[in-house]
Amino acid sequence: MSTIASPAVTIAPERARRGQHKISFSWMVWPAVAFVVLMMVFPLVYAAWISLQDASLGTEPRFVGLDNYLNLASDPEFLNAFGVTWLLYGVALTMQLVLGTWLGIVLNGVKTARHLVRTIAITPFMMPPVVVGMLAIVILDPSVGIVNWLLGTVGVGPLLWLASPRWVLLSVALVDTWQWAPFVGLIVLGGLQSLPASVFEAAEVDGVIGWRRFVYVTLPLLGPTLLTAAVLRSVDLLRFFDLVFIATRGGPGNASTTMNMYAYQQGFEFSRFGHASAAMLTLSLVVLCTVMVFARLRRALSY
Amino acid sequence: MTTMPRARASTRSRTVGRRGPAALAGLIACLAGAAPAAAEGFDWKRYDGQTINLVLTNHPWGNAVREMAQQFTDKTGIKLRIEILNEDPQRARLNTLLQAKSSDVDVYISLKIREGAVYNKAGWYADVTPMLNDPGQTAPEFKLDDFGAGLIRNETFGGKLTGLPINVEGPLFYWRKDIFAKCNVAVPEYLEDILDAARKIKACDPSINAWAARGVRNAVPYPMAAFVFNSGGGFKSVDGTKPGLCRPESVAGLTLYTDLLKDYGPVGATNHSFPQVVELLGQGKVAMTHESSNEFSNIMKYPGREDDLGIKILPKGKASGVSQPIGFGWGLSISEYSRRKGPSWYFLQWATSPEMQATLVDRGVAPSRTSVFEGEGMRAWASQKPVRQQWVTAVSEISRRGTGDYASPTDRVPETREIIGRAAQEVVLGQKTPQQAACDADAALLKLQ
Repeated sequence: MSTIASPAVTIAPERARRGQHKISFSWMVWPAVAFVVLMMVFPLVYAAWISLQDASLGTEPRFVGLDNYLNLASDPEFLNAFGVTWLLYGVALTMQLVLGTWLGIVLNGVKTARHLVRTIAITPFMMPPVVVGMLAIVILDPSVGIVNWLLGTVGVGPLLWLASPRWVLLSVALVDTWQWAPFVGLIVLGGLQSLPASVFEAAEVDGVIGWRRFVYVTLPLLGPTLLTAAVLRSVDLLRFFDLVFIATRGGPGNASTTMNMYAYQQGFEFSRFGHASAAMLTLSLVVLCTVMVFARLRRALSY
Repeated sequence: MTTMPRARASTRSRTVGRRGPAALAGLIACLAGAAPAAAEGFDWKRYDGQTINLVLTNHPWGNAVREMAQQFTDKTGIKLRIEILNEDPQRARLNTLLQAKSSDVDVYISLKIREGAVYNKAGWYADVTPMLNDPGQTAPEFKLDDFGAGLIRNETFGGKLTGLPINVEGPLFYWRKDIFAKCNVAVPEYLEDILDAARKIKACDPSINAWAARGVRNAVPYPMAAFVFNSGGGFKSVDGTKPGLCRPESVAGLTLYTDLLKDYGPVGATNHSFPQVVELLGQGKVAMTHESSNEFSNIMKYPGREDDLGIKILPKGKASGVSQPIGFGWGLSISEYSRRKGPSWYFLQWATSPEMQATLVDRGVAPSRTSVFEGEGMRAWASQKPVRQQWVTAVSEISRRGTGDYASPTDRVPETREIIGRAAQEVVLGQKTPQQAACDADAALLKLQ
């Protein structure tokens, strides 16, 4: 029966199918495009437009070209915030990658009560930043904090922690590391469990064990995993805000005013929307460039 | 933060009930009783079933109103959706909503001496005068002239009444009578005496902080301003056209404030704002402070403080002879973009009524209405404890003589506070001398004009 079927009959459905595919593809992509345009492109373009204007509360916006960006470049407060952001980023990222890697290896070796230990280990990064900020105040406040009280019981004088321009960034980095090193640890744990066992067996046969195995085998193999963790943490660290907003308000002085904190102050406290938009777009550019650098590194290290 | 714990609240209400400010209860009952008779012709149910959105600050007033919201709904049928945020997030929220001309916020708290001029320029305040003058919208018992004239002036911009004052507040000088007695130190009569008192207390009892005050950048100007004024200085030049922190008298005030904080304050004071100061004072770890009158009820919750604290306005300057306290009120405003201005105005009338203000006194909210402040109920409440009487006297004085103008000549008040506070921090941290910090601050303030 099938042999007497006319060729026209068999060709028509094929054409129809091809036509249908063509139509459905182009139609189905539009909601996604609309979403991206509305939710991402429009706000970005709007922010860029605002950043080119002298827009403050209570005044008519006025087009000023790149003045806001030039003002940023000559504003010592912004330059300080730029430096603070990078310093905090470098210290915190280093601590989190080192501690996170160690934590991942430890978690990988845990055999007893494995699930319980992992659950406890990841608890800090499940906590809201506001809670962590409040904890930091309660624990590290030089006058009413518990750490100085404990130090006092063993005869150590009060340390200034968040109240000293010299130590505030390290204190903030420590608190952030406490919260996010387990996150890096979890990523490292996943990376470790996906590494090929044969490589380690070969290393063992060759007598490469212990610290040497970690340096020459584990760490290179973990490279892409660590870069993924670094990218994820970089985005957060460069936009650092919550903890300093709650615990230090950018102080003492401007010792912990990050770029994000600076932009918040300009926008929401001083209502200088044009200037704040320029600062935020500059920050976005910094984040984008950093992520691109890490992405290139990751491609170079992929095996 | 200011919400009273349940156990404490019930203790307090028992206290009120038994020993009681009978006259306060009498006043409330009297006002409540009189209201229906006076308001017989006024339709409080005109907007029955509507809902209005409130964006308030974390202030004893806002917290109390949230607890009493049902009373308003019972009276008017209008439901309240209340959002309470700390000051900065509240301003951030208003920025987001009102900049977009959103009608999602109907009523909000606003500090006119800080953001009033700018908000008014942006057109965010509705003029309440037409509603006030409409007998169909305003209850006959509502009396605008019962509010302090200065407070109403603060709410008025170019003849436009942008809200109603809900309280009077300002920083007051708190001191521990027992510590002063133990150390045989006289209560400071002049501003300069505070430093001597701090020195003696530190020598007498090093375990206690002789002094505590706000050290966070934007929080510093509020308690520091009276130090500058009483030293004979100001935040404007003598002719009022330029910043004036660099004037010698102003530098003297800055020096005194920062010396106290640096040499006699708690460690880490540059990160302290009112929560830390209140906590330290409440826990009995501080001998003196200059902190908000609003924090009175919070401080009184700590055991012993009702009996061992003394309160007055900051002593006048010995050299200058000047006494210029800080005093102002928060205001309740209706958004220009609100679609429910009628019910919002009903809320303003209820929330600022004498009955409400009399009730809020027990929560440490100093009333903005003269009839309540000078009423029998207030007198009876104050007579129960010397510290209450001192608080009432001091608040009464700041409401009469206080100023809310402690910025350089500019509309950009929030930025001036940041710059002035920064100067104080730089001195406390030893980064600059008071003279350098003050003159650098003036240079930065000049750019805001």
